[in-house]
Amino acid sequence: MKIKKIIAAFLVIVLSTSMMVGCSGEKKKEVNLYTWADYVPADVIEGFEKETGIKVNYSNFETNEEMLAKLENSKGGDYDLVLASDYIIKIAGEEGLLSELDKSKIPNYSNIDSIYQGFFYDSENKYTVPYAPGIPLIVYNPEEVTCEITGYESLWDPSLADSVGIMDTERVINGIALKTLGESFNTEDLDAIQKAGDKLLELAPNIRILSQDQTQDYLVSGEISVAFLFTSQVALALQANPNLKVVYPKEGLGFGVDALFIPSKAPNSENAQAFLNYILKGEVGAKISTQTYYLCPNKASYEFLPEEFQKSLVISAEDIPEGEFIQDVSAEATQLHNKIYTEFKAKLN
Amino acid sequence: MKNKTRLPHLYLALLMIIMYLPIVVVIIYSFNVSKQSTIWGGWTINWYKEVFRDSSLIEALKNSLVLGLLSCSIAGLIGTIGAVGMVKATYKSKGLVEYISTLPIMIPEIILGMVFMVFFSLLRLPFGMITLVIGHASFCIPYVFMMVKARLVGIDKSYIEAAKDLGATEVRAFLDITLPLISPAIVSGMLLAFAMSLDDVVISIFVTGAKTNTLPIKIYTQLKTGITPKINALSTLMLLGTLILVILSNVIGKRKRV
Repeated sequence: MKIKKIIAAFLVIVLSTSMMVGCSGEKKKEVNLYTWADYVPADVIEGFEKETGIKVNYSNFETNEEMLAKLENSKGGDYDLVLASDYIIKIAGEEGLLSELDKSKIPNYSNIDSIYQGFFYDSENKYTVPYAPGIPLIVYNPEEVTCEITGYESLWDPSLADSVGIMDTERVINGIALKTLGESFNTEDLDAIQKAGDKLLELAPNIRILSQDQTQDYLVSGEISVAFLFTSQVALALQANPNLKVVYPKEGLGFGVDALFIPSKAPNSENAQAFLNYILKGEVGAKISTQTYYLCPNKASYEFLPEEFQKSLVISAEDIPEGEFIQDVSAEATQLHNKIYTEFKAKLN
Repeated sequence: MKNKTRLPHLYLALLMIIMYLPIVVVIIYSFNVSKQSTIWGGWTINWYKEVFRDSSLIEALKNSLVLGLLSCSIAGLIGTIGAVGMVKATYKSKGLVEYISTLPIMIPEIILGMVFMVFFSLLRLPFGMITLVIGHASFCIPYVFMMVKARLVGIDKSYIEAAKDLGATEVRAFLDITLPLISPAIVSGMLLAFAMSLDDVVISIFVTGAKTNTLPIKIYTQLKTGITPKINALSTLMLLGTLILVILSNVIGKRKRV
């Protein structure tokens, strides 16, 4: 008899927990945001919810490709706002998964600094709002480094043996080798790419750390003396150790933008436009940039940025035209990129 | 041949250090002032306050716990019944059926995830808790199935036969004799299933909806923006919760015996 009581209690628990699940009958005012965790700061989300009464459902993905797979599966539905990287937005656009912004509903759209617009993934500025533009830069510890660092070529300097950290991103690393040979990131010339691959193999002895995240931690803790970092990592490193020096590589800057778009079949696109309008406000833009440590694309936010961020988060218009985006290249070029990067990684061990 | 040296103790101590040192480091660094996990800044309990302030983290934790409970319960039910049935079955393709039932844990998670995603879209199921539970229960069932089956094989059939001789029906014999005997296996299978469900990232990413976020997804996708000691604080709290549960169950268990 005791067993029966246990089974009965157990079934009650299962039933009651499953009832809690199906409990959201009424149509709430909500908006479904889809991006990396904590990429949109909590105080921004709370501020929006308080001001408009619209609940934000914040779901996460880890890679752009994952996001694209889910968006293709739902045919542009389920999610109202997606924040992802430039190259994947281009691919999504080609697949018809983007919807045009209704700028009449986003009066703050004019706050966007125009130097961050008109890029390859949205040349007519119809679909996206830039959120986190960035330039990967070289950061080094002047106390540990004896040679002069002026650009990507300096990373090959023999005095830096086993003390350089770089990010584990194929196109970016192959790209800097291409740049030292005077080529573009997106050249489809297979000879040039192969030459870059050979050059990369010479870089291998200098590389101590190859990491996707937290590369700046190694620089700050002293395990490496030079690092090639993404913008947010640069700002975090400088915050931890203000004595580090930043170098804008003379061969040419890479450029990347994470931007927001509304998928084609978004269930709550009105609320999505409202959210875009909210984050384009001056004070909110400043809150975002000071917490994500990326460049600030919002003109109206510049006056709200605290002193110490003015230097690192605001760059001049002259820097951008020199910046080159990494874009998709032909299938053979992509395959060759894969091959030389794999060889490079193999040489590291 | 008795062992007179202290070597076994030394070996045990070394093993425990290797196993538990990472956990101890996680706990210590949850009190770290510095945001980066590689540098020690000083003592603080700020991160614990941050955990409770972060409503999306708490909601993700709640979702994961509910999901874990539901999927391990369903897995417990189906796995047990399946194991009992399998042991009694005598048809030829029995081996094949057993192999198929353990497939979910042998297939790479990413393939399973993608297949579930396409399958659920085909059925027009709304993505969210429902699809999460179905997905998780699917890979939890083999764990319970295998543990219960292993235990069942070791039980002497004469107990059941004796019960039947005394007039018990099939169901009664199962409920009163078999079930109490295999309950340790069911419980440990369900605990394992709960742990696996709580841990799962890949399948969850593919079958979740826009409104449901689970804890592992949230932590894993935080890698881009940087993992702060807030996660250390959350892990320490979860560890504490588990410890309290284990101590409680031990105390209750001891009381019953007396």
